[in-house]
Amino acid sequence: MIAWLHPGLIFIFGALLIPVLKGRWQKTYMLLLPIVALIDLTFMSEGAFWSFPVSEYMLTFGRVDKLSLIFAYVFAIASFCMTLYALHVKENGQHVAAFLYVGSALGVVFAGDLFSLYLFWEIMAFSSLFLIWYRKTRASSEAGFRYIMVHLFGGICLLAGIIMYVQSTGSIAFSIFDWGLGWSHMASYFILLGFLINAAVPPLHAWLADAYPEATVTGAVFLTAFTTKTAVYVLIRGFPHVELLIWLGAAMAIYGVVFAVLANDARRLLAYSIISQGGYMLVGIGIGTTMAINGSIAHAFCCVLYMALLFMGAGAVLEMTGRSKFTELGGLYKYMPSIFALYMIGAFAISGLPLFSGFISKTMVVESAAHMHLPIIWLMLEGAAIGTFLVAGLKLPYLTWFARKDPVVEAKEPPKNMLAAMGVTAFLCIFIGVYPQALYGMLPYPVEYAPYAAAHVIGMSQLLLFTFVGFWLLRRMLHGTPTITLDTDWFYRIGGKKFIWFCEQPLVTVTEGIDKGLKKIADSIVWFSRNPATSSKILAAKAIVAMTGSTVMRTLKPGYIQYEQDLEKLKNMHVEEPVPRVAIGTGILLVLMMFTLYLVVYLTHGVLWI
Amino acid sequence: MEVKIEQKHLFGILYVCLVVSILAGLLVHSHEPTHAAFVWQAVFSAIYGFIGCVLIIVVSKEIGHHWLQKEEDYYERH
Repeated sequence: MIAWLHPGLIFIFGALLIPVLKGRWQKTYMLLLPIVALIDLTFMSEGAFWSFPVSEYMLTFGRVDKLSLIFAYVFAIASFCMTLYALHVKENGQHVAAFLYVGSALGVVFAGDLFSLYLFWEIMAFSSLFLIWYRKTRASSEAGFRYIMVHLFGGICLLAGIIMYVQSTGSIAFSIFDWGLGWSHMASYFILLGFLINAAVPPLHAWLADAYPEATVTGAVFLTAFTTKTAVYVLIRGFPHVELLIWLGAAMAIYGVVFAVLANDARRLLAYSIISQGGYMLVGIGIGTTMAINGSIAHAFCCVLYMALLFMGAGAVLEMTGRSKFTELGGLYKYMPSIFALYMIGAFAISGLPLFSGFISKTMVVESAAHMHLPIIWLMLEGAAIGTFLVAGLKLPYLTWFARKDPVVEAKEPPKNMLAAMGVTAFLCIFIGVYPQALYGMLPYPVEYAPYAAAHVIGMSQLLLFTFVGFWLLRRMLHGTPTITLDTDWFYRIGGKKFIWFCEQPLVTVTEGIDKGLKKIADSIVWFSRNPATSSKILAAKAIVAMTGSTVMRTLKPGYIQYEQDLEKLKNMHVEEPVPRVAIGTGILLVLMMFTLYLVVYLTHGVLWI
Repeated sequence: MEVKIEQKHLFGILYVCLVVSILAGLLVHSHEPTHAAFVWQAVFSAIYGFIGCVLIIVVSKEIGHHWLQKEEDYYERH
């Protein structure tokens, strides 16, 4: 007997009750759901549960092992913090969308087969869309459309890959996919493409940096965790030890940092940091040793929490001031010191400062790159660590809370629930950093890595301290400029516009031309068939006039004028000549007679011929 | 005035930290077999941190300035 419920369903069906409840009851209920899911998780045992046969296939909604459990735990914990942060939001729709989103992410995590994976994958895309649209600005509506288009494309790639996979193997099992070069691996390529789009791997990442900063304050906090981290999860399941991921990941880590330096929007800077952090996880998956995979999972776990905390901080500033651009921010420390302090805990965690959560997970991935003798990858990841501290730990807080003598705008501390949520998340970021065994114990493979070895601690401290020196010397260069940064969404934003223009201008002109031409032909056929005898006479007369109409002929042959007069007469005749109209019944009668005649001929001659 | 004093103190702490981190690096790696490896291991992170930070800022800003950064209404106008 199974003594537990599918935690994803707790969220999905739980979401349906939210609009029914009101006031304090609703708030209590929303906070209880993640707690119930968390308790539920502790009752779960490893194995495959919740299997349903659908035609010839077996859908498995509950594949429980250490890998799915650790992701489920962090999703449930994070969703509690995020719900607390969003508690003051009045719109029920936002809460419902958020819960559906969390629930479907848990659905993906426990999916044991490709069909149920795909099902939850799509629910995730659509429910998250509403967290963007609820911002109700023009920018968010447009960004939301682009977001869903990209995810639909990714979903179609995934589906195509799944269908090819099922065709070739006859099974829908979600396990490690074959990898290699050649046509026989086409299914794996499509599935990987679908996964990489959700993991926001450049050049397929632009949807994230485009849409997340346009989402609602609380919606963006939810968005940070689930789409990219479920993608990391499915990559661990499906494509461990694929070397391509190492290079993609390392490039991604640097790419995110460079664009974060250029960003003028606080939440866009953080969105690029998500991409950058995802790079570490991909490198770990690509290396594929037990230590590297452990590192990726641990980093995903920590990243969910500190990324949420960072977005909560930037979101709180946006909520209270209505501003998120660095060109419009500065000096807010006077009004929001506690938000600054809590934000900095997240910033230290993402930067991997010793005693904060990022330190115990990031160094694990970096160290496994060193173990595999990948010096270039190691240097790129260390460089990305510098950049991460620079953008999320120095640039953002400096330009938001300091940089100006006087605050740009009056503000106050945000609602208590927001502060409490940030407090809980910040506590977790420190707790994991100080007591890493709590996290290491949950990892699928035994951990032999000691994060607090003196060399690690000192190396990281040197790295970050001297990054600060570089920042302080060049801090003037980092001031925001009123610009946007072009990214790969340029291709579909500009390309899309050009395509619409092509459809509206040249294409329509050509089709209109063809249309007119065809109409003319049809008209002339109608004209001709109305009275074939006279029409052909007119055509003949026209031809004669055309032939004899040249000035030479006119002077040579005065009789020419006669032809023109004939033509006029004929034209008039054609129009005036009464066309005998036959009722439709008569027409049918004629046709029937024709058929009968044909039948008679066929029967007599046909039989004779045989 | 108050802010200024605070900043001064913070920078004092920073300088101490910088020196301590270098010394700690030298201390921890003192058992390295060769002199070159010792120096390299001991201060590599510090050098890389500083140079990396400067490079990231300068290179990113150059890329942005000459290529990727556009006015805010770029997509409305194109």
